[in-house]
Amino acid sequence: MRKSTEVLVIGGGVTGCGVLFDLAQRGFKAMLLERGALSMGTSGRFHGLLHSGGRYAVNDADAAKECIEENMLLRKIIPHCIEDTGGLFVATPDDPLDFTDTFYQACLDVGIPVEEISIAETLRQEPLLNPGITRSFRVPDASVETWETCKTLVMSAAEYGAETLPYHKVVDMEVKNGRVVAVIAENTISGEQVTIETDMVVSATGAWGGQVAAMAGCDVTVYAGKGTMIAMNYRMVNTVVNRCIWPHDGDILVPIGSVAVIGTTSVKVPDPDSYPIEDWEIKLMMDEGEKLIPSFRKFRPLRAWAGVRPLYQESDTADLRDVTRKYTLLDHSKRDGVDGFITITGGKWTTYRMMAEHTVDLVCEKLDTERACHTAETLLKNPHGETKLFTLGQRLDALENGELDGQLICECEIVTRPQIERSLEENQPQIINDLRRDLRVGMGPCQGGFCTYRVAGIAHEKEDLPPYETNKALVDFLQARWKGMSTVLWGQHLRQMHLDEGIYLGLLGVDKLPTQLTGADKGRLGEIETEGFYEIGVEPSLVQPEK
Amino acid sequence: MYSNYETVVIGAGMAGLNTACQLAEANQKVLLVTAGLGSLLLSSGCVDVLGYQPIDSTEPLTDPLANLDDFLAEHPDHPYKIAGKAALQGGVDSFLGLVNNGSLEYRGQLDKNWLLPSTAGAIRPTCLAPTSLAKGDVREGGDMLIVGFRELRDFYPALISQNLNAQDLNLNTEALILDAPAPATGKVNITPLELARVFENSDFRNRLVSLIRPRLKSYARVGFPAVLGLAKHNDVIADLEKQLGVPVFEISTMPPSVPGRRLFEALRQRLLGLGGRLIIGSKVHDGVIEEAQVKHIRIETSNRLQPISAKNYVLATGGIYGGGVQTDSDGGKGKVWEPIFGLPIEAESNRHLWFAKGLLSTEGQPVSRYGINVNQTLNPINGTDKSVAKNLYVVGSQIANSNWVIGRTGDGVALATATAAANHILNRA
Repeated sequence: MRKSTEVLVIGGGVTGCGVLFDLAQRGFKAMLLERGALSMGTSGRFHGLLHSGGRYAVNDADAAKECIEENMLLRKIIPHCIEDTGGLFVATPDDPLDFTDTFYQACLDVGIPVEEISIAETLRQEPLLNPGITRSFRVPDASVETWETCKTLVMSAAEYGAETLPYHKVVDMEVKNGRVVAVIAENTISGEQVTIETDMVVSATGAWGGQVAAMAGCDVTVYAGKGTMIAMNYRMVNTVVNRCIWPHDGDILVPIGSVAVIGTTSVKVPDPDSYPIEDWEIKLMMDEGEKLIPSFRKFRPLRAWAGVRPLYQESDTADLRDVTRKYTLLDHSKRDGVDGFITITGGKWTTYRMMAEHTVDLVCEKLDTERACHTAETLLKNPHGETKLFTLGQRLDALENGELDGQLICECEIVTRPQIERSLEENQPQIINDLRRDLRVGMGPCQGGFCTYRVAGIAHEKEDLPPYETNKALVDFLQARWKGMSTVLWGQHLRQMHLDEGIYLGLLGVDKLPTQLTGADKGRLGEIETEGFYEIGVEPSLVQPEK
Repeated sequence: MYSNYETVVIGAGMAGLNTACQLAEANQKVLLVTAGLGSLLLSSGCVDVLGYQPIDSTEPLTDPLANLDDFLAEHPDHPYKIAGKAALQGGVDSFLGLVNNGSLEYRGQLDKNWLLPSTAGAIRPTCLAPTSLAKGDVREGGDMLIVGFRELRDFYPALISQNLNAQDLNLNTEALILDAPAPATGKVNITPLELARVFENSDFRNRLVSLIRPRLKSYARVGFPAVLGLAKHNDVIADLEKQLGVPVFEISTMPPSVPGRRLFEALRQRLLGLGGRLIIGSKVHDGVIEEAQVKHIRIETSNRLQPISAKNYVLATGGIYGGGVQTDSDGGKGKVWEPIFGLPIEAESNRHLWFAKGLLSTEGQPVSRYGINVNQTLNPINGTDKSVAKNLYVVGSQIANSNWVIGRTGDGVALATATAAANHILNRA
């Protein structure tokens, strides 16, 4: 199959989706290819934080400035994707007090709204916090919903005629006379190949940037910096809580929906698709969580996962902390003599819009056209509700007021049958994990224990799926959740797993369905195979490697 | 201190209840103390003895007894070996005697398995089943209608029907999804238990039948989710069969399990009827062992720890799932312990060795094998065959290597070990 477009974006993370929208709004015919589902890469695996910039104010002032500017702007253009939790920087009894002065001044210098508040006020706001904290500052951190953002950007881009193709993996690029003229991609569900002719390719593939650039014969090194996080079964704080110290592993706790996420680490890994979670990381996250919240270990860790930060540096460096968190825009025409190809990598989720703007500015320059960017002034409407800042109680309110009708399928996250059916219609999800990303089904404390079967049954009925598809979707989803759960299975959460076994093996017998009915006899399609997070059978890695 | 009991049983699952009932039948003064209500409420309500051999087979066994020796040859540490075949047979006989006393009727025998449809349309082999479930055996063949309700979100007849049809059975099934008639109409979050109560309403049944009758072809039987009444279960089914003119059966649902509830109620009533005592909701805080004897246990009450002593103690606390085996991450390593008596448990401290590559692993999860090692008389032992306490017995999934996933043996282990322990206790008396 052959298609053609003017500008082809590779990568459906937040940067790629942002670029697609900007291109489309500026009148380009644009298309996006993503090898999995939108935001399945780093954008779907990060901490969920809309940075105020406080974290970078001291050691990376430029990055910090970018953050605060975009933070303020994004609240106006994608409000329904943002929960205005606010942020706190707190010094625990172990933390040096002189840094707090440095921090405060740095925030002022960068232009981050910062306010010192009393310990009493802090503890009133967040009663579970360590009562021994010595100083506390308020900053405008917030939490973001990445899937919602990517979906909104892509739907808005579609209004300008842009096309998005998830489950299309780029396998090669056609370079003729020093110019990229086409991209060859494979539909990972059907296996079909499609060739897309294009005037310009934008690679927004983050940590995979090197792999993609190599297809055009360009030598690009992007390090993959693994960051591990743990979701705890309780929303312990309603504010983003940062440790007021030099950036440090495990120094941020973010409330996301009904859970709280502690993170993160920073470990260079050789392969962006392989990042096993190590025991010292789990222990470190739990220890650091305990410094912020003394009762931390009384809660259940639900799952651990990792994302890979794209860290680009022109020259090799051993210490990942030296690599800036600013973004990098590569013009391969100038750099490598390959026209029609640019790479945008590095950067932070918070600055996606700005990264997209500069990328599309470069596209305009290369295609010799002047078109102004309007994304900073364009409000992106919420496709399914009011366009206003997200609040946690929204779904429950809607349910109680009768606005959210229908059968409650996921009780942990409040997801109803009509929502699931609508998501099935609109998004053509290929696997249950797509529904999870869209609706948060299975992301709450039971981790899909009860709702997985219900979702499979509903999808089966609504889509009139052959039983093979449904069984396979069910089994795949359970196995995928297992990857993240196995890292943190002990105590009450291990008992939860036993209940899941009791239900899915004992009552439902899904492992005893004939293999031809579950796809166990074939390879998996659709879900990108990444290595299991918790390596089974290895020696425990209890010691943090020297940096 | 309560001290006039001959045996105290800790735990109200299948193993605990059956041990207590057997001892009460033999005229012992028995106390059963439990923190919760046991796992029966989450189970299928059937008794699985041996479903698959070899364990990775997807062909269910039709004769568990004939395959037991092969299974034990491959799994010599399995509790069936320690309890013995006679105890398994004794356990089955005893169980049938206990429950077939009231409104329930369990059927089956050790050399036959029922092959029942599961909530996903897979086949569940099981040895003893209540009649209402047993009538769904897939080998009966013929045309079958499976009825479900839009209001019941834990039952998807179309998936069940299509999965059954896709397997090589002599079955032709169809699904019928209805809007439940009043008073359940629109109650979209109804649970199986609530719907079971509604089914005891004859007006509801009449309305339901009038919805089904026009859609009745020449079905040999009609299947429903297992919600056909609680205490009045037999009347409900008799009425439906009379009105529909065909046999009616039930298919186990997701928890809360109505057949599991019926079974729990039957065993509970039986224990009370035999003079047994029951304390529900009090967790056993600890137990004291001195000179190879349990001296007493202490249970948590509202304001203090209440000591209880008896001649014999039975630990039926359900392994990791039941809370009888506790686990934690200890600085990144794994910690496993028994919380009441501190009984020794052989376990890996390397948590990477606790798990298999997938949740659905035919070998089961290694961690699920952790439990208490016992000797021939079901006393807990310490490395050697020396018993840690001569008057303490361990039954059910609290025993090491009793992982039910392997071969699907959970309820059989409960019955066999309950009977073995009860016999040893009575022989000692």
